[in-house]
Amino acid sequence: MTEDRDPSIMTRRQLIRHSAWFGAAVGLAVVGGEVISHIAGTGTGTAAETRPTLRFAQVSDSHIGFTGPANPDVTASFGHAIDQLNGLGYTPDFVIHTGDLTHLATPEQFDQVKQQLNGLHTPHVFTVPGEHDSVDDAGQKYRKVFGAGTRGAGWYSFDVAGVHVIALVNTLNLTKLGHLGQDQLDFVKKDVTSLSNDTPIIVFSHIPLFAMYPDWGWGTDDSMQALSYLRRFSSVTCLNGHVHQVFSKTEGNVTFFSATTTAYPLPHPGDGPAPKPLTLPAGKLHDALGVREVSYTKGQQALALKESTLS
Amino acid sequence: MSRRNQRPVLALVMAAQAAALALAACTTANPPQAQPNPTFSTDVSGTPGMSPMPGMSRTSGMPMTPPSQGGDTANAQEPMGPNAVNIAGFAFFPATLTVKAGTTVTWTNKDEDPHTVVADGGAFRSQALGSGGTYSFTFPAAGTFDYVCSIHPFMHGNVVVTS
Amino acid sequence: MKALALRVVIAAGLVIGGASHAYLYLHGYGQVPTIGPAFLIQASVSFAAALLILAGGPDWLIWGAGALALGSLGAFAMSRTIGLAGFVERGWQPAPHALVSVVAEAVTALACGAWVLGAARARGRSARRR
Repeated sequence: MTEDRDPSIMTRRQLIRHSAWFGAAVGLAVVGGEVISHIAGTGTGTAAETRPTLRFAQVSDSHIGFTGPANPDVTASFGHAIDQLNGLGYTPDFVIHTGDLTHLATPEQFDQVKQQLNGLHTPHVFTVPGEHDSVDDAGQKYRKVFGAGTRGAGWYSFDVAGVHVIALVNTLNLTKLGHLGQDQLDFVKKDVTSLSNDTPIIVFSHIPLFAMYPDWGWGTDDSMQALSYLRRFSSVTCLNGHVHQVFSKTEGNVTFFSATTTAYPLPHPGDGPAPKPLTLPAGKLHDALGVREVSYTKGQQALALKESTLS
Repeated sequence: MSRRNQRPVLALVMAAQAAALALAACTTANPPQAQPNPTFSTDVSGTPGMSPMPGMSRTSGMPMTPPSQGGDTANAQEPMGPNAVNIAGFAFFPATLTVKAGTTVTWTNKDEDPHTVVADGGAFRSQALGSGGTYSFTFPAAGTFDYVCSIHPFMHGNVVVTS
Repeated sequence: MKALALRVVIAAGLVIGGASHAYLYLHGYGQVPTIGPAFLIQASVSFAAALLILAGGPDWLIWGAGALALGSLGAFAMSRTIGLAGFVERGWQPAPHALVSVVAEAVTALACGAWVLGAARARGRSARRR
């Protein structure tokens, strides 16, 4: 296009023209995005939007018994989280607590947390112990309260709505990182032998099963072996607690999701010398605490997660 | 393409946008579904987890007597005795302590968080130490004893005992 | 003529790259944090740009297409090495979409580069003619 005025100055006509093209580009992109996600929502083929096959909630690191400037009333914030889960607008098929239910594993603290969990409007509540729950007695008190039906240090598995859920204990016999141990690894190997490759697998544990930050013990020294037994499955989702912050990482067929706490925040990896409780400015605490909803729809490989802070 | 031809093209594009937006805005209702129930393997007695009764209101929390958490963050450079280890800032100071056989070593937790002292190999093991809590162990024989905090196992230390 | 041919090549590259991302979004990648929405944006912007470039849109669309293609290639490289928003994959998984998309994006980037060079040369020629 040739112009006899300085080509670096745009005429009004050119501006309108370029704006029209730009508007068309943005509009088309938005429409294209809407169309693609609409197809995703209807599950590539089915005409109607179906209710998820399975919906559950995750809560973690309530640390009942902790007091300090980071959170002077962890019992109240845990209660708040439970109220939030009771107010979701639907009944979760189950709720899992990924550990550090108590801060010091005293009988009173276990009693308190069990009472509070009993207030959840859900048919089942599952737990795994954190290292704080196993202090002094390698988890004996924890197992007395929460260990019915579990094996070894408190691991187990169950099937629900076509999904296989495995609960692992990696908080005993620690030398630097989380540790599963040979008995538990054998359990995992045996547990999945009869499952077909397209069975969705959910694993929950307290300490991350991936190397999130080994310098602070945020990893499990023998998790690679456990995950190798799950390599043939098309969808493996690992949910953990311990790190008191939301984080996720995908490695091949496995996606790891760390949950945040209902008690007190910890620093981001490397942000400071140690993972000690972080005192936030007044009014900011609830933004760092929260719960998570997870849903699975048959036909969709990956789970849908939604984190909410404490309101 | 001359400017005269571009106008109808743009008009077509806008029309297509509007049509697609209308399509994307349609949603359909969700059919109700029954709630799934977990199945557990039969070779364990009892079922894992707990079944809270729906409809039960949440009981208010019992007042808890927390362990003494009033300690300040430690100054690890505080003068301490020759057979003492301070636990501060999620670390043991000094990380390596050398004593003679028969000496009693005392660990003091200066952190807000609870810590423990657990030897690799089980030679000694403390209870959970709250803020200000102490633990003492007398080393009878020579050797090197590595230990960790079992709650925060990235915390390492060792005691070298000479005869 | 050359300009139209380049537009067709760029549009085709964009469509193929976008279609690969859209397919993967609908088949599992849509749920991956950060990466899912990024795939959606990549696909929708690719289709939009392809359509408008074919319709004879202005030069900055071609610059944008080149940037999108290079950005997609860079993101792919990051996902295979240091990770992208916590997402890491090995090799050419998911096959064949990963390879198809990389080739399409490379072709797009090269064609955009050729267009930009051609336009610069044409500008130089017309300036000399005056």
